[in-house]
Amino acid sequence: MDIKKSEVLQGTLDLMILKTLHALGPMHGFGVARRIEQVSRDILQLNEGTVYTSLLRLQQQGWISAEWGLSENNRKAKFYSITRRGQKQLEVETENWERISGVIGRVLRLEGER
Amino acid sequence: MSSRRESRLRTFGAKLRGFLSKYRHDDDFDDEIRQHLDLLTEKFVKQGMRREDAVVAARRQFGNTTLLQEDRRELQTLTSVEALWLDLRYAVRTLRKNGAFAAVSIATLGLGIGAATAIFSVIDNVLLTPFPYKDARHIVFPRIHGAQQSQDDGRQGYTPTEVLEFAENNHVFDRTTAANEDLILYKHGGGTEQFEGADVTPGTFEFLGMPALHGRVLQPSDYEPGAPPVFVLRYKTWRERFNGDLSILNTTLVLNGTARTLVGIMPSRFGWYDAEVYIPEKLTRNATGGSFPSWFLVGRLKPGVSQQQAEADLTVIARRLAKTYPQSYPAEFSVLVRQIGDTVIGRFEATLYTVLAAVGLLLLIACSNVANLMLARATTREKEFALRAALGAGRRRLVRLLMVESLVLAISGAMLGIFVAWAGLKFLVATMPQDLIPTESVIELNAPVLAFTLCVAVLTALTFGLAPALQSSRHDLNDSLRDTGKGVNGGFRGRWLRDTVVIVEVALSLTLLIGAGLLMRSFVTLREVNLGMRADHVFQTGLVLPAERYKTGQQVTKFVRPLLARLKVLPGVVDAAESSVLAPSNYTETNVDIAGKTHLEEWPTTFQQVSEEYFRVLRIEFKQGRGFSEAEVNDARRVAVVNETFLRKYLSNEKPIGQRVRLASLETMPDPVHDKSFEIIGVVGDVTNRGLQTPIEPEVWLPYTINATGPQVVIVRTSQDPGTMMHAVRQEVWNTDSGVALAFAGTLDDRVNQQLYAGPRFGSLLMTIFGCTGLILVTVGVYSVLAYSTTRKTHEIGIRMALGAERGDVLGTVVRSGLRLVLVGIAIGVAISMALGRVIGTQLVGVSVYDPETLAATTLLLTLTAAIACWIPARRAARVDPVVALRYQ
Repeated sequence: MDIKKSEVLQGTLDLMILKTLHALGPMHGFGVARRIEQVSRDILQLNEGTVYTSLLRLQQQGWISAEWGLSENNRKAKFYSITRRGQKQLEVETENWERISGVIGRVLRLEGER
Repeated sequence: MSSRRESRLRTFGAKLRGFLSKYRHDDDFDDEIRQHLDLLTEKFVKQGMRREDAVVAARRQFGNTTLLQEDRRELQTLTSVEALWLDLRYAVRTLRKNGAFAAVSIATLGLGIGAATAIFSVIDNVLLTPFPYKDARHIVFPRIHGAQQSQDDGRQGYTPTEVLEFAENNHVFDRTTAANEDLILYKHGGGTEQFEGADVTPGTFEFLGMPALHGRVLQPSDYEPGAPPVFVLRYKTWRERFNGDLSILNTTLVLNGTARTLVGIMPSRFGWYDAEVYIPEKLTRNATGGSFPSWFLVGRLKPGVSQQQAEADLTVIARRLAKTYPQSYPAEFSVLVRQIGDTVIGRFEATLYTVLAAVGLLLLIACSNVANLMLARATTREKEFALRAALGAGRRRLVRLLMVESLVLAISGAMLGIFVAWAGLKFLVATMPQDLIPTESVIELNAPVLAFTLCVAVLTALTFGLAPALQSSRHDLNDSLRDTGKGVNGGFRGRWLRDTVVIVEVALSLTLLIGAGLLMRSFVTLREVNLGMRADHVFQTGLVLPAERYKTGQQVTKFVRPLLARLKVLPGVVDAAESSVLAPSNYTETNVDIAGKTHLEEWPTTFQQVSEEYFRVLRIEFKQGRGFSEAEVNDARRVAVVNETFLRKYLSNEKPIGQRVRLASLETMPDPVHDKSFEIIGVVGDVTNRGLQTPIEPEVWLPYTINATGPQVVIVRTSQDPGTMMHAVRQEVWNTDSGVALAFAGTLDDRVNQQLYAGPRFGSLLMTIFGCTGLILVTVGVYSVLAYSTTRKTHEIGIRMALGAERGDVLGTVVRSGLRLVLVGIAIGVAISMALGRVIGTQLVGVSVYDPETLAATTLLLTLTAAIACWIPARRAARVDPVVALRYQ
């Protein structure tokens, strides 16, 4: 059986990155990609480059900040961390997500019962 | 809602930051990606892949880096600005490739904008804001205008009593002030100099509202009885006569025998009453009504008061005054008020507005020319644009590209225009007759004028940029890709518009050319007019004699005789004479009677008082009789010389010698001559005495020794450049009497140029510039329209040639189609010139408005130029290879 990996929905990646940074503290882009890969257990197909676009977008909104630092193997790397505004946004977005996924779930179940 | 707006704002801010510091961010981002790829590769290697496979796998998992870069750029920079920059570079590149087109468009625009800016500068500085004074628009002066007098006549001077009556009893002025011309003699160690002075009433400087540049203006305490005598100096005089030396401020100068302290120097634009020195004077009522009406009165109209109301109010006061002083007023009169500057500007206003209209039309023509050029070009690029559209360029994008192109043209044109304006203005100011503009007005490129140019440039860009842009982007793609010829006729609706533009251009340009031709011929005729004397190698200067020491003819003679003797022996001097008038104009008038002749009407004549050398020095020719002898002059005998006009008008060409003339005004002069009957002993050829455009007036010459009246003038004929005589002559004058000052010193040539030729030269020069500009624009216009239509007709021409038409036929067809328009334009242009003939006719001398030679020459010039403009595209059309033209489809 060939299970197709799902494409990441636009916008959800932002949410996942925000949550990752919130949960694990400052990390670089590679780390974020690894973490999402791990958590999704290979269900989601991630074009890892898009992580950077997303990081940039979040940065522009002021939800995360970036800082140059040294990685674990002593290389120069950019570390991203969530800001206070980002945490607030995460709460809003999470709530939003849960409400919408709840609605969609109910709609889908409704569809199934017919 | 607000959070979304905020988010958008943040994005824009980030983009702007990114746009401004793009390069650093690019590197950062590349580093990050490279690092990520390395780490991913490492990870795969650790999982057991071969390194090469790991690199490929890492790339696959990471995704398209180029796409990522583009996403990032989209996020981090202002794409539209970047695209605009690209458009700009593209526009410059394409325009450079079509160098001729760009050059012609830019030059056309530059000429139009430049001419408009230069003339607008002049109009603004001379007509709109000539005076630097406070609320100058509402400053008016009254004039007593007799019912019998012509419109511009009337008394403008008032006695102190009259001034006070008007100032105190009117209801229409906020404030008033008055000035009186006062000749100032300034005595210093070396000799005496003369200034144009003005006595000004209290409050004059408050009225004018200009502070001093250095020191202070006159203040109320300066008018108190017993106040220390002070004066204020004009900027120009300070620079020229005192070398701009600030240390003279607060020093004391002896002016007309009074020691006065210089308290202030006015700014450069201050030139009230055209005086050099301002002296405070408080008016007092004089029981006898004052001596001489010499005070010039001005008032500032109260807000909301019209000129008519002011005239009515002042007329009431004047009628009351007329009852007290009936001899000073005409039987029937009213008071007119005029804005200050009216008299100076009035003569020039019509010319300036005509020129402004001409310039506006030129600018319009220039714009429509460029529009035509752009249209012609857009046509040849239709395929290019169709292709762009087919490949996905949006309409907005195409319009923007064309707009950028036209803006590049417009801005280049504007910059060239500003340069043309700057150079043109310098040129105009250098050639402009000085007495035609108020002394206060400074002609320069100023901020409003620059704004005006910019508006013109932007509007022009929009006008001619948008039309072709919309047209070429509106097209159905398939149409343009399939076909360039548009069938046989190129039946574009705008054709009549373009044809009309050409016809109008030709007509206007011919009108300007004919005007230029007529004025030029008239000027040439003017230069050939015999002045009746030789003006070259002559130096002349007025002499101001202190009135208290020179009261009689003998006293004057005692000064003049030794002075002439000294002058005659100066190195470089050939001869010297005395006169009472500065050549070449004479406005000293009197009524004349001739013994034995009765006449009802008045016989006016000009006259002057001269020494015996006068006719010799100016090389004036005797027609009959002889000139004065030394003895006749020394003895102040009653002898006279008249000119031929006098002989013709008043003596009906009878034998003149021995007739006796009586000059009425000699009796009323300050030093009256009682025995005023003079015997004519000679007749001279006519000498210009009223300028070249008006007929010569009758003139009488008398010995200068008969009285001590009026200004004295010495005229010196030199063998060297007369311009170098100034210092030597002044030294001799001061050696003779150090209390005498020179006035209006200069060469006769300069004065003749200034008085007789400068005006006509300026007019013909202006018209010639306009005529030539018009000619250039017409050439461009005819060329661009024909080039446009032949390009559209390439296909048609191909068919014709394939069917057997010869090259000559094609050439003929195209040239004919162009010349048809030109001929219609010429017909209209000649008609306009005929209709406008009366306007220009007053400025012409010795040339008829319908001068056939001028008409023929200008028409021929225009036709030839237009023919060349037709011939270039026609030749290109005739070179069309039928095979290529047909396959082109």
